[in-house]
Amino acid sequence: MDETSAPVRLIPWKAETLNTAFETDLLALLPRLRRFAIGLSGNPSDGDDLCQMTIERALANRSRWEEGTRLDSWMYRIMRNIWIDEGRRTTRSLQTFVDEEAGVAIGGDGSQEAVVELGNVDRAMQSLPTDQREAVLLVMVEGYAYKEAAEIVGCPVGTLNSRLVRGRDALMQMLGDEA
Amino acid sequence: MSTRATPEEIAAFADGELPAEREAAMRDAMAADPELAKQVERHRALAARLSQHYAPVLDERVPDRLTDLLTARSDETVVDFAAARQKQEAQKREASSRRPHWGWIAGPALAASLAIAVILGDSDTGPGAGYAGPQLAAVLDDQLVAEQSPAAETRVLLSFEDQGGQFCRAYSGVSGGGIACRDEEGWRIERRSEGSEAASTDFRMAGADDGAILAQAQEMAAGPALDAAGEQAARERGWR
Repeated sequence: MDETSAPVRLIPWKAETLNTAFETDLLALLPRLRRFAIGLSGNPSDGDDLCQMTIERALANRSRWEEGTRLDSWMYRIMRNIWIDEGRRTTRSLQTFVDEEAGVAIGGDGSQEAVVELGNVDRAMQSLPTDQREAVLLVMVEGYAYKEAAEIVGCPVGTLNSRLVRGRDALMQMLGDEA
Repeated sequence: MSTRATPEEIAAFADGELPAEREAAMRDAMAADPELAKQVERHRALAARLSQHYAPVLDERVPDRLTDLLTARSDETVVDFAAARQKQEAQKREASSRRPHWGWIAGPALAASLAIAVILGDSDTGPGAGYAGPQLAAVLDDQLVAEQSPAAETRVLLSFEDQGGQFCRAYSGVSGGGIACRDEEGWRIERRSEGSEAASTDFRMAGADDGAILAQAQEMAAGPALDAAGEQAARERGWR
């Protein structure tokens, strides 16, 4: 399932080339990172803000990424850490400079794509505590094994397992059997 | 399974996370207990529903503001990060000062448009390139942003008054998009964008082309885009 970490194990090469590979790998990860970000934040505009902050932090800290380890896990970890930090500061929105643009999502004049409509799944997910939501997303949407998800979150596997179960139970209750 | 399966075990089984020997025991227990089997089924149905729910994000076009972070610097090799960020923010400030009031109406599209506007500039054959044909004119005359069908072949993106006080409408369709302004003769095409081929293939990048048009609209507009009521009133006056 990890299609992204391989290309970096190269013959000695110029630094620039490695940097480019790093960026290329990140580009390939973007759709998945967006999916996780949108799942965490509950809507595309906050999700993309979160993505942007994650990429910026990854670029700034690229020297701390160990080649040969999984870049995707590293990125997910950065993202969930930012989300947790931001969540402490402001629970609703990331409040970045794109807020004005983000306003299109709920303002607008009736043009269809401008309307954010939270579906049942979105609402149910947003009602979960963050620790349960991220466990559900990492395992059930992103497809990580419990152990990998626990490493991303930075908790024991047993803890992840029980968060996952609590999150699932709540979701099944809210969503009923319409699944 | 000698003892009753815990909720953790049931979920782990559904996720394929139980060790082999306990997995076998679980299978036996499920065979003996339909209720248990049903619970596992519900877990799997939930997993399927969630992954289905989020899957479309993978097919969406990643916003330029994200890809730009990773592509803009690839020829420059290592660039001072703070400087890059500063530059980016300066561009954003400049961009937002050019659209004082209605960044909100076209925000996401505009973010995508900054690069694309250049392409549109090339394809713009200059002002006075003609008037809308009957079909397009009919759309521009009648179709309100708030009422149009999402499946409409030609969609009006927004309407605004230009600096000369004429009503203009930005539109987008399979055969290209553009901006037309109403004068005494009809809908004068002010801008036209190509990209119709791209728009009709699998690679349709939703909004990319619209973004370019909206950026142009912004340059031309005297103020905010018309809201639904404003559009309706303008239509009643025949857009004059």
